[in-house]
Amino acid sequence: MIRIKDLVKSFQGAKGEVRALRGVSFEVSKGQLFTLLGPSGCGKTTTLRCIAGLEQPLEGEIWVNDRPVFSASNRTFVAPEQRRIGMVFQSYAIWPHMTVFQNVAYPLASGMSRKEIASRVEQILERLSLGGLADRLAPNLSGGQQQRVALARALVAQPEVLLLDEPLSNLDAKLREQMRFELKALHESLNITTVYVTHDQEEALALSDQIGLMHEGALLEVGAPTELYLRPAHRITADFLGTANFVPVQVKSRGNQAWDEMVVESPLGTFVARRSIEWREGLPASLFFRPEYVEFFDPNNSSNNGTNTGIGIIERVTFLGNSADVVIRCGEIALRVRAHPTRTPAAGKKVHFSVAPEFCIVFPASPSAGRLAPSPQSSHSERTKTLGE
Amino acid sequence: MIVFRNAFVSRTRVLPAPFSLKAGLSGRAWAFGFTLLIVSYLVIVPLITLLYASIKSTEDKLPFETTATTLSNYALVFSSPATLPLLLNTLLFTLGSLAIGLPLAIIFAWLLERTAVPGRTWIASLILVPMTIPSLLSAIAWIQLLDPRIGLVNVALRGALGLSADTGPLDIYSLGGMCFVQGLRLVPSAYLMIAASFRAMDPSLEEQSAMAGRGVGQTTLRVTLPIVRPALLAALIYFIIVVIESFDIPGLLGFTARIRVLSTAIYWATHSEVGLPDYGLASALGTIVLVLALFLMWIYHRLTAHQERFATITGKGYRPRQINLGKWTLPALLLCLIYVFIAVLLPFVMLLWTSVQPFYAPPSMDSFGRATFDGYLNIWRDSSVVRAVWNTTVLAVVTAVATISLSVLVSWFVVRRRRESGALAGYLATVSFLPQGVPSIVIGLALIFVYVRFPIPIYGTLWIIALAMTTRYLAFSSRTTTSALIQVHGELEEASQMAGAPWLRTLRRITVPLLAPAMINVFFWVAVHAMQELSMALMLYNPSTVVVSTMIWSMWQNGRTADAAVLGVMLTLLSALLLLGGQLLSYLRRNSYQ
Repeated sequence: MIRIKDLVKSFQGAKGEVRALRGVSFEVSKGQLFTLLGPSGCGKTTTLRCIAGLEQPLEGEIWVNDRPVFSASNRTFVAPEQRRIGMVFQSYAIWPHMTVFQNVAYPLASGMSRKEIASRVEQILERLSLGGLADRLAPNLSGGQQQRVALARALVAQPEVLLLDEPLSNLDAKLREQMRFELKALHESLNITTVYVTHDQEEALALSDQIGLMHEGALLEVGAPTELYLRPAHRITADFLGTANFVPVQVKSRGNQAWDEMVVESPLGTFVARRSIEWREGLPASLFFRPEYVEFFDPNNSSNNGTNTGIGIIERVTFLGNSADVVIRCGEIALRVRAHPTRTPAAGKKVHFSVAPEFCIVFPASPSAGRLAPSPQSSHSERTKTLGE
Repeated sequence: MIVFRNAFVSRTRVLPAPFSLKAGLSGRAWAFGFTLLIVSYLVIVPLITLLYASIKSTEDKLPFETTATTLSNYALVFSSPATLPLLLNTLLFTLGSLAIGLPLAIIFAWLLERTAVPGRTWIASLILVPMTIPSLLSAIAWIQLLDPRIGLVNVALRGALGLSADTGPLDIYSLGGMCFVQGLRLVPSAYLMIAASFRAMDPSLEEQSAMAGRGVGQTTLRVTLPIVRPALLAALIYFIIVVIESFDIPGLLGFTARIRVLSTAIYWATHSEVGLPDYGLASALGTIVLVLALFLMWIYHRLTAHQERFATITGKGYRPRQINLGKWTLPALLLCLIYVFIAVLLPFVMLLWTSVQPFYAPPSMDSFGRATFDGYLNIWRDSSVVRAVWNTTVLAVVTAVATISLSVLVSWFVVRRRRESGALAGYLATVSFLPQGVPSIVIGLALIFVYVRFPIPIYGTLWIIALAMTTRYLAFSSRTTTSALIQVHGELEEASQMAGAPWLRTLRRITVPLLAPAMINVFFWVAVHAMQELSMALMLYNPSTVVVSTMIWSMWQNGRTADAAVLGVMLTLLSALLLLGGQLLSYLRRNSYQ
């Protein structure tokens, strides 16, 4: 279990003080895999390093398994070497002057018999399919092997918490996908509380129990992958997680609560959509939907009643193998659509399309408008509350 | 002889720590305090004491023996009729040495790095060989060659030109002779520095000029030289300091000719042939040299910081295009060979020759028959030589161990704590670099003042010499370990922390092993310099703490030329062996895991 409260951290940059973290709070329950997701410089790695103890925050509290490891008010700071946390670094940080065995045995050194060390190391090496490599020097390993050694070293002392800092970013695409599955399997079998940092949304969606989306030093929103993907509370989340279409709209009727249905008028036509938490009366609004929920239909043979539909001309079709990336031109607006790779009309054809109301969300038209709205924590609690209803 | 990378000084401000760590004063915090204290003590205390001495001491009194403050020492320096010639000599000696050394270094750097002169690698190695000969010994060798009466070259010239005089035509005991020997001494290290900047140049800059239709000459003048100009300027400033600091050559050659420069004037003020040491004068002169050298160091620092804007260095292993010299190939090769013969081979062979002659005689069939290696055995009968060799060994090992240990600590705090303790880390970087601009003779002088009265009873022991040398070599050493540590990814150490290792264990098991290649190099470099160093040892030794370099100096003063040459040859060979051994060990260590 990890609990983080109101974490504040700043750095001295070239142009004065930079607020790296502005009050980050979240909880990871026991055995969960929690992912901090965001673009570079959003504070996700800083948060991870604060949990590890490699950075000392200015304010806030950090608890690891009911033990306070940092508290600004109590003046508590537990040194990283005493936190019993395993960590995998982005560079893997395999010590080049040691063999694989020596690397992995390093965290065990104190007060354990030689024999016990050997068996523990052997066990974890087997578990990570590294058997037979024990005597290799680190630089003679492939990228994927180095990554496994880093994992073995982080896990060998059976830590209470595992921290992973962009562990897959240095692997090539094929290997990355394979390691993603293995990490997931490993986490499921070990059931160790894990915090995972990445900027890759696919990784985050595939691996996590919960995703925390970070933006400019703040935790914007937290949720399960499907929740965050299908019902982002913030325009920034919608934009960062996957591809997004935004269409400027006029609001015709508003609901009273978040996720209530509202009716909006867009250049494409009338749409029924959900009201996001961020939306505020009087601000310019835009309609959001993802490319993969746009469906083509035949107007002569359809039950569509005219709402949530549009007409456009196919401008470009890009074949991607398992799908096609289509651009539809509707007057001023160009929409991205994810379509079937072979059953897509050719460029220049006129098409009718629809988007189901549950996949349409209304956001403020500009991201900055959203930032005037709720603070990260309150939006999180508001979200849980509304979802509970 | 010191070649180092760009100095860097942290300019980051400290963030006020939100609170003191409850982890208390960890091992790391203690080590930080210890490092700050030792470095400040080594560097700041002597400099302050020197300034204090220059306004306190008088002709016959040491600084702590009087209470009166006086500017009379400075008044004396600036009113004395001896001062103007002294400054003029120093100026001429500096300019003359640079005028001989730097052009040669630039020519060789260009020829060997950028052109297709045959046998480049061999010539490049040979050019570096004189680095292993202590400069005291090159002076002795050149005296054997150019002494106006018995110098081999002079004898040969007189024969060839049919001159009837029994002296001349060349005189090593002159300002010209001093400049010549010192100038040749500068070539190896200047070559290294300048060749590095030629090597670091992006060849595409030159290729671009060639594509624009410019010939080799135009390209060299309009592209190559402007690009390496900042590096050349920095080298110029750097070697001005080296010459001003130089003691051995002006000490030996200028002694006979009574030509004094600032560094030797300080020595003779405290080791007067007639009368008592004048510490007041010495400290005033010392302060003047110090201010001058520090000022030049500051300029150097500015230049090399600025140089980074010209940075063309990348990690790519490209080899710049080599210029074909065409019909100039042979003259260029000849130039290199003549230089190697005159500057490398001749002095060493002369030294060797002197060491195997029971008494000095020019080479002939007769004297060849008298050649004997007995000198190499007999010298050990002299108990003071045995003592000197033992003392030198202890001194070299202690200095090297102390310097490298301190350097690793300094580098760690400068590199790894820059963000958290910016001001202190910056202070550490600056202060540990300061001795680069403090001439050795000044350190020696200052330490006399510090320890003659200081409660730590090390005056007259070997430790005071080790202390002086540790201070002097800290700059080069910490600079080298700092650039090595920058190459070691911080996550390697953090991974050790996360694995439960406290700071000291991480340092011992991760940082030090990864820095080992650089540390081995620095260790041997410092040991060899400590073995060869003369001016600090000369200021601080006494008969019981005699070392090989001071032994050679006094042998020479007492006319024991052959013995001096014997010791000199052994010292040279040992130096070469240690430097090569260090390179090899460092190379093996690096290759063991790369």
